[in-house]
Amino acid sequence: MEGEGKEKETEAKKIVHTYPLIRHSDMAEEVKQEVMELVVTACEKHSANNEAAARMIKDQMDKKFGPPFHVVVGEGFGFEISYECKNLLYMFFGGNLAICVWKC
Amino acid sequence: MPPTTAAKKALVQGKTAKRAKTSAQRLEQDDDLEEWKRSKQLAKPKDQLELSDAELKESIARVLTTTNPQQPDSLVEYNHKTGEFVVLPTTGNLVVVFERIGTYIHKDSEEARDQLIAQGIDLLQQQLFQACTFEQKDEGEDEISTQMETIGEVETTDEEKHDEEGEDDREKEEEEEGHGEGGEGGDAEDEHEDEAKGEEGDEAASKGPQKKLTNQFNFSERAALTYNNPVRCQETQTTPPPMATFSANVLQWVIYDAYLEDYAAQELEKLRERERKEKEKVPVAKHPAVEVKKPSGRAQLSEAVQGRVLECWKVLERMLNQNTYDEIAKDYRYWEDPSDEFRDEEGTLLPLWKFVYEKTKKNTVTDICWNPWYYDLFAVCFGFLDFMKPSTEGAVCLFTIKNPSYPEHICMTDSGVMCVDIHPKYPYMIVVGQFDGNVLVFNVQATCKKPAFKSNAVVNKHTGIISEVKWAPDLPDGEMNFYSAGADGNINNWVLMQNELSVTTITTIYLDKDPVPGPDDLTFTNNTHLGSASCISFHPKEKLIYLVGTEMGMIYKCSTNYSSMFLMTYQAHHKPIYRIDFNKYNDDIFISCSGDWRIKIWEDMRPEPLFVFDVGHSVGDVKWAPYSSTVFATVTTEGKVYVFDLNVNKYKPICIQAVVSKRRNKLTRIAFNHKLPIIIVGDDKGCVTTLKLSPNLRIPCKAPKKQQYLDQWTLQCMKLEKLLSLVREPSTLTVPTDTASSQAS
Repeated sequence: MEGEGKEKETEAKKIVHTYPLIRHSDMAEEVKQEVMELVVTACEKHSANNEAAARMIKDQMDKKFGPPFHVVVGEGFGFEISYECKNLLYMFFGGNLAICVWKC
Repeated sequence: MPPTTAAKKALVQGKTAKRAKTSAQRLEQDDDLEEWKRSKQLAKPKDQLELSDAELKESIARVLTTTNPQQPDSLVEYNHKTGEFVVLPTTGNLVVVFERIGTYIHKDSEEARDQLIAQGIDLLQQQLFQACTFEQKDEGEDEISTQMETIGEVETTDEEKHDEEGEDDREKEEEEEGHGEGGEGGDAEDEHEDEAKGEEGDEAASKGPQKKLTNQFNFSERAALTYNNPVRCQETQTTPPPMATFSANVLQWVIYDAYLEDYAAQELEKLRERERKEKEKVPVAKHPAVEVKKPSGRAQLSEAVQGRVLECWKVLERMLNQNTYDEIAKDYRYWEDPSDEFRDEEGTLLPLWKFVYEKTKKNTVTDICWNPWYYDLFAVCFGFLDFMKPSTEGAVCLFTIKNPSYPEHICMTDSGVMCVDIHPKYPYMIVVGQFDGNVLVFNVQATCKKPAFKSNAVVNKHTGIISEVKWAPDLPDGEMNFYSAGADGNINNWVLMQNELSVTTITTIYLDKDPVPGPDDLTFTNNTHLGSASCISFHPKEKLIYLVGTEMGMIYKCSTNYSSMFLMTYQAHHKPIYRIDFNKYNDDIFISCSGDWRIKIWEDMRPEPLFVFDVGHSVGDVKWAPYSSTVFATVTTEGKVYVFDLNVNKYKPICIQAVVSKRRNKLTRIAFNHKLPIIIVGDDKGCVTTLKLSPNLRIPCKAPKKQQYLDQWTLQCMKLEKLLSLVREPSTLTVPTDTASSQAS
């Protein structure tokens, strides 16, 4: 894995971006920023444990915006969800993580 | 409680009396007993004494004494203190066999009274009531006892039965015995206490209305059942919160691509931002001080928002103005003075909006200029002409007739602004000449706060008032340039370089006087007299040729190619020339006005004017109309606007109208709109008035029947030519030599 990563870097000489990148969201701007910060905090805290990160995000979201929130943190997955409007955030972070937060 | 006990006693005695009555019956009963006894074998103890009859009949007297045989007498006790026996006192013969504390209390006692009060029974009232009942019955005082209540009485069913039996008897007995028992009541109480208990009920039954006692056994409850409100059901169904579905696939390459895409977008945005900044800088960048670092992030956003808000406000302001000045707007658009039809040859001016800016009310309008690009926009210079009272600041305001209440752009300057010109190609580039000799170039599109270019106050400037500035056609390499005429006699050409204004003095005007010799003959100095240019006008076609009017009343025809000589000199006026204007249709014809009250129309290279008009007051400005070759308008210090149409009347103006108050205001400048039939005039109180020309003032040329195909331009030229040929003639007649020269020109 390491070798591969290096190869990729050397062949393209590309910067690995790690900043939070919101892919899709219909939240209000302020809420979006808040959730994004929360996700960043959680993912940095539990960098090795996606489950813990997801749990932390979910708990915090439930507390802040009222349950029930669902959170998926992972490197590869597919999903089709139905969510309550204005309560969806789908973002990338750290270059290899996708985080999907929604309320339903 | 003496009365009560007395009553009880009466009852007891009543009973004994009853027994006495039935004594005969009892004797019989005894006999029966004897018989019954005999028939039975009585059981007796074995050790019972057998006594003879005599012994049995012997009577043995038994005496009861009050002494207690059990009681020890002469009890002694050893006293250790005195060391001897001491006789104790006898304990007495009283033996208490049974003791019981009763629950009755005396009615008249303190305690009873308190209790009665506590129960809400008024003693006094009760006594009164009792007294009444006694009188009715005509009975003695003793009766009170029977009426009295016993507190704490308990009724039992058994006793009630008794009552029924002997009620009648008892009442009688009570009456009889009441007399004797008044005194002994107190003693008898103890004896009869127990007995009386049982009998209480009887008394209670015979008494008057009973008082309700409240205790835990005796109470009443009341309740009421109220209506139950009818139950109604009402339900409503809310719309469920809006839901939506979303689906995506997360793969590492998806994430990678998304980041790349976003990064590229960011880069592009940065690039654009940079470009935009540079673009903004261009006009203003010449002054490094203007380069203020743009606040980043939120501040920048708020700036953008402010800009948008400002735009909204501007729209709103215009809407309000449109409402406020609705009538004027309609007049401007539709009003054509109908009286013109009956007043041939003469016309009127209809005042429309007035433009005033609060801060420049004290300034004089020194120049006005329509924007060549936007027909509704015009620039107004605020400076001062009364040089005895200089004002410290000036301004250039750009007004639009769409908003008469407030200038569209305001460029404040630190010195009075004397003249202005708007670039014909770049309508946002405005050049102004100041009282202090400096020229400024504003780019109103970028900012009005700072001039984009400014002449150097020390080396590159006029040493007098700048009387007129004019944009010149761009140089071959695209640089903008303009000319300025100053009171120091210099005509300068300014080129807008990358960072600064470069200045070239084209010519310097000298008076036609001999040089004054210096004080010392040896050092012969030429102190020539400098003329001062008061106006400048460029030939519309030949860009090299220009006319300069001076304070001395001369008009010089010059070429930019020759700095040391004039092509022609006209002895035009006797006082400063305020304006020279070329005719819009014929380039050889120009008009001049002066402080000597005169307006003169000249032809190129002809030293005498073709027309001279005297209006009786200093003429501030004169302009040819853009729509007609023979119409021009002037303003005078008297506050009047004169409109001439040479085609209609060669001697008199076709319209004289006072626009401002004669006493207070002077009109200084006038300008025709290029498109619309309106003119603007400025006065010395910082006010600009818009006037609409009535139809008579702008009659279009009628094509002759034979030449219908000719357009308006040609017709106008023909009209002017025809007129000129009329005026040229006399001059050829009177001065034959001149004819040749005029023909030559």
